[in-house]
Amino acid sequence: MASAGSGDEKAAAAAMITLISSDNEKFEVTEATATLSQTIRHMIEDGCTDGGVPLPNVTSKILARVIEYCKKHATAAAGEEGSSSSFSDAAFLEVDRAFLEELEEFDDAFLEVDRATLFDLILAANYLDIKGLLNLTCQKVADSVKGKTPEQIREMYNIVNDLTPEEEAEIRRETQWAFE
Amino acid sequence: MAPPWAPHLPEDILLQIFAALDVPDLACAGSVCSSWHGAYTSLCNLGRWKQQQTPCLLYTAKSRGQSAACLYSLAEKKAYTLALPDPPIRSRYLIGSAYGWIITADESSELDLLNPITGDQIALPSVTTMDHVKPIYNKNGVVKKYEVWRHNDNPSKIRVFGLRELRKSFFVKAFLSSDPSTGDYIVVLIHRFLSQLSFARSGDDHWTLLHPHEFVADCVFKDGILYVLTQLQEIQAFDFSGPAVEQKLILDRIEIYYRYVRMYIVQAPCGDLLQIRVAYDHSASQPELDSMEEDGYFSEDDDLPCPAYSTSFEVCRVDLAARKRVQISSLDESVLFLGLGQSLCLHAEGYPKLKANHVYFTDDDGFMFLGANNRRRNIGVVSLSNTNIIENITSPQIWSNWPNPLWITPNPQKMNSAMGGSTEEVQAPSTSCRTFGFQHGWSVALLFLVFLLFVVSVSFRAPTKFFVCLPLNSALHS
Repeated sequence: MASAGSGDEKAAAAAMITLISSDNEKFEVTEATATLSQTIRHMIEDGCTDGGVPLPNVTSKILARVIEYCKKHATAAAGEEGSSSSFSDAAFLEVDRAFLEELEEFDDAFLEVDRATLFDLILAANYLDIKGLLNLTCQKVADSVKGKTPEQIREMYNIVNDLTPEEEAEIRRETQWAFE
Repeated sequence: MAPPWAPHLPEDILLQIFAALDVPDLACAGSVCSSWHGAYTSLCNLGRWKQQQTPCLLYTAKSRGQSAACLYSLAEKKAYTLALPDPPIRSRYLIGSAYGWIITADESSELDLLNPITGDQIALPSVTTMDHVKPIYNKNGVVKKYEVWRHNDNPSKIRVFGLRELRKSFFVKAFLSSDPSTGDYIVVLIHRFLSQLSFARSGDDHWTLLHPHEFVADCVFKDGILYVLTQLQEIQAFDFSGPAVEQKLILDRIEIYYRYVRMYIVQAPCGDLLQIRVAYDHSASQPELDSMEEDGYFSEDDDLPCPAYSTSFEVCRVDLAARKRVQISSLDESVLFLGLGQSLCLHAEGYPKLKANHVYFTDDDGFMFLGANNRRRNIGVVSLSNTNIIENITSPQIWSNWPNPLWITPNPQKMNSAMGGSTEEVQAPSTSCRTFGFQHGWSVALLFLVFLLFVVSVSFRAPTKFFVCLPLNSALHS
């Protein structure tokens, strides 16, 4: 038992990856966490992660949040794998549901951020190719614009309306009905 | 405090966000700024908008004017008003809805396809090209009446209808094989007498009778095959993929004719076909069958009593392999939409605002079709586990009774973008077929006008608009 445990630890220690944010902050994460990002997974496969992975498009503030998300979801994935071998089907379903509920709660809390951070998270998820995070954040934006007028959406996300009055009138003519 | 500046999102991300929106929200998001509008346009052109649009109730209301239709969104519990192209929607009969398009009959009893979201319109082959219908011309060569007879029937039984009367007695319900904005579709029409079927493919200049099928109640296209359910519960399958339509009997008829039973056939989310029988107990109500003035429309302002319909539903799964019906007591997680539009069966999971194991129905009562417009329509939601309690869609009701409200699944796909250069080819035959109704002298003049308009329409604007204009020009010529 002891030797198996230390073996695992060794493997885990060997599989640490350093991520470097645009403002040069370093983050040590496990390979399991880092490979939720397809972009980083490919870099690991290509063997170009020695000396850390520079992520010039992601600030330390956003990278910290992304890592938080990946850690939680990587743990959940590992937990599911573990449980499938050690529980009966019924128990497994029970555990599975508990995991999903916990994950959902985590995701909801995770999305409690200001609008600019939400957009930054989307861009980071897109750049790092983390499908789950991208879906989650895009859905959040979609939910937030439901039932809103264009003006309300602009205010909410501080978007400048760069349409000319003519363009706007033309668009309005086509979709007038949706603005009531 | 001003909100923090939000970074610019690239188009592929906007596409992903927009793909989660129902059509009204999508249109709003599409007019926020130029990059969001660009994403909206791309999404519609690529056909990548949310495919699981929640059905809406399409209706008209006197207070909104003759040319406006209203869309009641079940997802948002909110009504939108759509300005529609001519002829005014309240002057038309609605005889079907599928893929976000409605099928309408105008005051000359001619049929059009109309997408209320985009305003796109397609003229269908003239009613005079149908086997049972022959035009009667006045001395100026203009169609003034229609002669109609039963197929293979005694010629002495010919009936004559005025231009606008024909639609009242002749059309029952229409169906589509696919989204007309793709340019490739088949329209199938149930018509009198004896509820027979005719069809026209996109580009056809005439209707073709599918005979000898009678008492057709409802149709559905599944995997390219048309399944036809008759009032006698016979199910036939028609394969349109070859040059000749092939036909196969699926289930034999049951020789019981239920007078007040409406029959529907629909594809369940799992792919199975369902047959639904809805019995309206008319004895429980006192239908007001007083004759209406010709142009009388029921108004939402009129306070008519709601007839106390009692309604029962019976759902059967059609086992195609074993060729039998199996009655089922529950739809489980499915939701049914029944009425004059294409019957729909959706999985509630993809539609958070819809209730599982419930039927959303509008009544497509034949009595109303025959002119008794001033009865209150039976429109509501009912659980299959307790069909005694019918919930209202809105209270008080917000729709006029006529033209009859129906379910529609909004479709933002613009026709021209999807069809590219093929628009004119697809449209040309239906133009000419409506021109054939006129005698030669006028036809030549008209064809010249058509040509002129054609050139103008091709160089300036959407060709479809031009074809819509044609009947009006014809009228001017007379």
